[in-house]
Amino acid sequence: MKQEISALMDGELFEDEAESLLVHIKRDSGARKDWEIYHLIGDVLRQPEHIHSDLSTKVRERMQDEPTVLVPRARAAKQKLRTFALSAAASLSALGVVVWMSLQVGHEVAPLMVARQTALRSVSTQIQPKPNDYLMAHQEFSPSTYMNGGASYIRTVSYGPDEK
Amino acid sequence: MADREVDQQLVERVQRGDKHAFDLLVSKYQRKLGRLISRFVRDSAEAEDVTQDAFIKAYRALPGFRGESAFYTWLYRIGINTAKNHLLANKRRPPVNTLFDAEEAESFEEASLLREVSTPENELMSKQVVNAVQASLQQLPEDLRSALTLREIEGLSYEEIASVMDCPIGTVRSRIFRAREAVAENLRPLLETSKGNRW
Repeated sequence: MKQEISALMDGELFEDEAESLLVHIKRDSGARKDWEIYHLIGDVLRQPEHIHSDLSTKVRERMQDEPTVLVPRARAAKQKLRTFALSAAASLSALGVVVWMSLQVGHEVAPLMVARQTALRSVSTQIQPKPNDYLMAHQEFSPSTYMNGGASYIRTVSYGPDEK
Repeated sequence: MADREVDQQLVERVQRGDKHAFDLLVSKYQRKLGRLISRFVRDSAEAEDVTQDAFIKAYRALPGFRGESAFYTWLYRIGINTAKNHLLANKRRPPVNTLFDAEEAESFEEASLLREVSTPENELMSKQVVNAVQASLQQLPEDLRSALTLREIEGLSYEEIASVMDCPIGTVRSRIFRAREAVAENLRPLLETSKGNRW
């Protein structure tokens, strides 16, 4: 537990660990004493010429007369709502920009793609009628087939729409 | 979780009505705030009262604290204002060489100019505490002493210390704790025997 207090002082604990440890320090007088003494050591090391007696007891006594501080929940809730509304508005506007950009890009690219597809089609029809003899002869060695050695007994037939 | 976030968590607890959470902030910042106030109010007993007043004012003002600045910056500002108002109420002028911002107050070095006037008993106790801490530090093994010094005096993070000392972060965490605990062991008997004032 003391090691965790030491790490908490240095801001080196995760949020959930810190939260539960702070609750423990408040409740346990021994843990609070460790918190105080570790801080005293740090203060002595940094500024040895300005060490005075512990004021926390005196402040605590004076605090007895003070009313308990309470921040209205409504204000906290309003702040949360405002944060949520702002982040939602930011997300929606970002989404809007993305949709608008994609629509703009889509209109320009569509005709281009159609033109490219027709060009590709005409090229492939030019190539297809010519069988590649080399590939046909060595097809049995192709790694894509699981029928190595058997390919020589298979006759490959192709069909071209222009060769009826 | 950074140091500032620990403060923020304590502040939020106080804002939810948890008075005890404020104790932890007082024990953490009392000497820093006291040191700052002693630059304005030279009498140590008076400075101590003003420090207490500043904490009470801070407590009262906490509902208005929204965490836009660090808690200690906000607290130091309250401390400076409380000290100045105290001097004005007593028809005294704040010293001219205290025109500095709350944020730089922590690193402000001027001890020899404004040494506090303390009672002989407090002065003796203060010296004993300082001597005990320094003697304990000297007795520590080198790796523990370096880790604690790099953290407390140089203000390095565990990650930075790990890099300087060429060891894992877990080792840094353990060394700093063992160093603190070794010093605390030597300090506890002294603090328990002090009469009247707690340290």
